[in-house]
Amino acid sequence: MTEKSRASPVLGLSDDETVKLDFDDASLRTVRYWASRAVKWFKLDGFIILRSSKNRYHVVFDRVVSWGENMRIVAWVALLSHNKGLARWFLMQCIKGCSTLRVSPKREKASPRIVERYSKQDENIKAFLKIRKMIKKMWKNCHF
Amino acid sequence: MVKKIAVYGAYQARIPFKQRFWKTRKDGIHQRYWKLTRRKKTVESKGRYEFHGKGKDLYQAVIKAHRIMPRGFVDVSAEEFLRHPEKYGFEGEWIDREVES
Repeated sequence: MTEKSRASPVLGLSDDETVKLDFDDASLRTVRYWASRAVKWFKLDGFIILRSSKNRYHVVFDRVVSWGENMRIVAWVALLSHNKGLARWFLMQCIKGCSTLRVSPKREKASPRIVERYSKQDENIKAFLKIRKMIKKMWKNCHF
Repeated sequence: MVKKIAVYGAYQARIPFKQRFWKTRKDGIHQRYWKLTRRKKTVESKGRYEFHGKGKDLYQAVIKAHRIMPRGFVDVSAEEFLRHPEKYGFEGEWIDREVES
């Protein structure tokens, strides 16, 4: 069952030094709680929350970390929050060796929007938003 | 590590495939062998590019990636991909199907 009608690939942003989280079936309140706990426990400076679709959120943290520390933090949140979507996403990123978050629209979902900002944003978040802007521009130019 | 642009999804492409042949050897043994013929078959698969490099190259690589489907997981610089796109993928088209990031 496939639809061939002018489909396009999904564009995302990958790297291994930014801590990212992908919550499925979670409210904004829950996501904010876990992001705040992680930012305090691991001293991650700051974070932004992006709404991917209904009850799906992405979190990006500001501090630069190593790949080992990155996965340690994601595993910690996945284990304590009992979020199945996040645990599954975490395993996928371990296999790939870098973590990816979607930037472009995907099927009926729009591209993720920033819904909350917290504290410092001048390191990884700044770089993330810069490349996100570039990818969104690319996607627009490819499709319009 | 530099930040990379991930281009991923499900696709449909016509790929050449190896066909099975048989030959009878002089010693009487019936031996099977495989040969890449000109025949092609339509396959549906998932793939992913991870591009890194300069802005202009990245932009061109993403545009090219709309036509050239990746051979599995391709982690390559945008410049190298633009130089030899046939090495990293084959012609096809992306389809709408749920994929993981």
